[in-house]
Amino acid sequence: MIGQVLGHCRITAKIGEGGMGVVYRAYDELLHRDVAVKVVRKDAGLDASSSQNLLQEARASSSLSHPNICAIHEVGETDGDLYIVMELVEGKSLYTMSAGTGLPPESVLRYGVQIASALARAHDRGIIHRDLKTANIVATPEGLVKVLDFGLARRMGGGVLEAPTMSFSTVQSASSVSGTLPYMAPEILRGESVDARGDLWALGVVLYEMASGRLPFEGRTGFEISTAIMREMPKPLGPPVPPGLWAIIQRCLAKEPLQRYQRASEVQAALEAVQSGAIVSPNVAPDQDQPGPPKITTMHSVRHAQIKKGDSLLLVGTTKGAFILRSNSQRARWDVGGPYFHGHAVYALAYDDRAGQHQIWASTSSYWGTLLRSSHDFGKSWTNPPQAPIRFPADTGTSLKNIWQITLGPADEPNTLYCGVEPAALFETRDAGETWSLVRGLFDHPHRPRWLPGNGGLALHSIVLDPANKQRFYVAISSGGVYRTEDGGITWTAQNRGIRAVFMPDHFPEFGQCVHKIAMHPSRPERLFLQNHWGLYRSDDSGENWTDIANGVPSDFGFPIVMHPHNPDCVYVIPVDSDEFRCSCEGRLRVYRTRNAGATWEPLARGLPQKQAYETVLRDAMATDSRDPAGVYFGTRSGQLFGSRDEGKTWQRILEGLPSIVCVRTALVDGGSAAAVRSPAVPRSDGMKSAASHKTHRSASRTKTRKK
Amino acid sequence: MTFHIPGALREFTAGESTVKIDTAPRTVADALTALWTLYPGLRDRLINEQGQVRQHINIFIGSENIRYTGGLSGPIQDSSEISIVPAVSGG
Repeated sequence: MIGQVLGHCRITAKIGEGGMGVVYRAYDELLHRDVAVKVVRKDAGLDASSSQNLLQEARASSSLSHPNICAIHEVGETDGDLYIVMELVEGKSLYTMSAGTGLPPESVLRYGVQIASALARAHDRGIIHRDLKTANIVATPEGLVKVLDFGLARRMGGGVLEAPTMSFSTVQSASSVSGTLPYMAPEILRGESVDARGDLWALGVVLYEMASGRLPFEGRTGFEISTAIMREMPKPLGPPVPPGLWAIIQRCLAKEPLQRYQRASEVQAALEAVQSGAIVSPNVAPDQDQPGPPKITTMHSVRHAQIKKGDSLLLVGTTKGAFILRSNSQRARWDVGGPYFHGHAVYALAYDDRAGQHQIWASTSSYWGTLLRSSHDFGKSWTNPPQAPIRFPADTGTSLKNIWQITLGPADEPNTLYCGVEPAALFETRDAGETWSLVRGLFDHPHRPRWLPGNGGLALHSIVLDPANKQRFYVAISSGGVYRTEDGGITWTAQNRGIRAVFMPDHFPEFGQCVHKIAMHPSRPERLFLQNHWGLYRSDDSGENWTDIANGVPSDFGFPIVMHPHNPDCVYVIPVDSDEFRCSCEGRLRVYRTRNAGATWEPLARGLPQKQAYETVLRDAMATDSRDPAGVYFGTRSGQLFGSRDEGKTWQRILEGLPSIVCVRTALVDGGSAAAVRSPAVPRSDGMKSAASHKTHRSASRTKTRKK
Repeated sequence: MTFHIPGALREFTAGESTVKIDTAPRTVADALTALWTLYPGLRDRLINEQGQVRQHINIFIGSENIRYTGGLSGPIQDSSEISIVPAVSGG
């Protein structure tokens, strides 16, 4: 074979030999590089179909590009011999390096992280190694690990490959399965189907072997080894093996696949945690008893409202939990479900009906941290993710205090959501909440160090998307002011010209205003309304300039500001007495409405308490629904929930005695998935967005009618 | 080493109120890392993303709060009893 040319590779030397074939060193005369060529013997027991499988597998593996995976350059056939051209890796196998007493823990961790990373990439591409072992992993003199033979170890025809991969191990494998016996997971020995978790078991064996120099399951015969794998626990590893590493190995070697890590990336993260010696590295492994994040918690002891198609919903967040209220289209009587998240503060809620789903999002905050959770069954069960989905990266030196706002992305991007958090920052997800990332463009803004916390903390509480321009959206921060991006969040500019900051020496600074809330009607995206810490404003030019519109309100101090769903000139606010007092003016609880974009305001008080009513309504505790006539709802710090089903003309107390209300959102349930198919654009979780949804919904209905 | 798990977190330990871990940690951080390697859901409930114990969570080794015994880098014995206790605070 020496001197022969396969493809464009001239064989120069023999490297090794095994039951399946021979591995040669070769020179690629086309690309001028040294390579390794594995030639599979004609007598390796492959039938035609098996050969084809091997070729397909090798081709699939050749798509893997990862620094810790030995690259496959080419596969081919010559004179009936299959050959595979691959990266030439020069180094020592971990089998050789681990012999004796094993490797130092630092090396085990360093190599383990790289192996796990390689597996993670392969598994993401649907490729399982099936024969991971120390003999198949090479460490270069520079400390770089290369995993060899991805996807090559596969059962072929009816036969068994004794040592199917490049290592040509002499270990006898069990009948009717591929792989190398001491590294085989119990489910493989049981003849069950193999998935990526079989590789994670093998990784556990590799880690054990690297750490100790011996295999976790040993025996003189294949039967003894198999028995040990199936029934015995590995001998514990003590110092110098760190407890964290031993715990990871144990979890990889759980007999049942469900009790193992479920993904290689979880093992990688856990190894990195131990490697760093810090307690901060991410650990995303799922819970042992119920693997596969996100974990779901069923709310057995909570009363649930029975929700039907066509119902109106009120989502109410309080400092001690959330409530879900339902009513029919009349909105006269409300059925109450909850409290959900008993004892947890729920500052943000959202209803997401994009893509035909009924998902409620909630932020929960307690002793145990702040989490973003969701329910697909109107609160009967909620995700309870082992790892907090929204978290500041380690390099920020910052930790999450609260999630103030959950905002849905565009209707045609159902996997996009945004969260505004405290300390002030914006997070986004593009995969329906699976992963969240910090919007660095805003976090790294040079103004950020000079933003100051308001009374409620330094919070990013408003996120307003421009429905006419996906690249443009606004956020508002207390106390930082309004910021706008024109490039989807990469860069941000302060948009506060004309907004007062009475607590600053310069009353009209570029930024630093304590903006309490902003609102936009989707049909007029260039126009914004703003409730300030002292001041009511409107901008007609996308936030470039702001005009005072506090014409006739008893106070221009307040918190919420919400749009009428169908009238872009109609806005609701609830003035409070002053910065110091922050209660409804003159002890009279009144909503104020403008129907001419702020030229004049009118009080709406019929049905609201007008004596000794010193109430406070917080920034997110007010919303409108999308019905016609529109509903308007708000909750107070004293735990009263009020609603109007006639656009504010008259009011009723829906509930009292709740904990302090911090969030109110609305939704219209437009049927199950079948209904959603019929009318794909259905309402949203707050009044501002409801307007757009409602409009689209009508439009969609008309379109359907025409199609009929 | 034995951990005593408060009721609110037993959802993440398959309902177990105590968790015994057969390791030899040198520090509280080692011990906790071993705990949430087994039960990952506990980690983010006890510390924030910067690795600090949450403000209203107390961790006791025996009867000593680790805030007064060296924090997470404080020493620990194989036979230690570790209690996780939410603070008595709030309204």
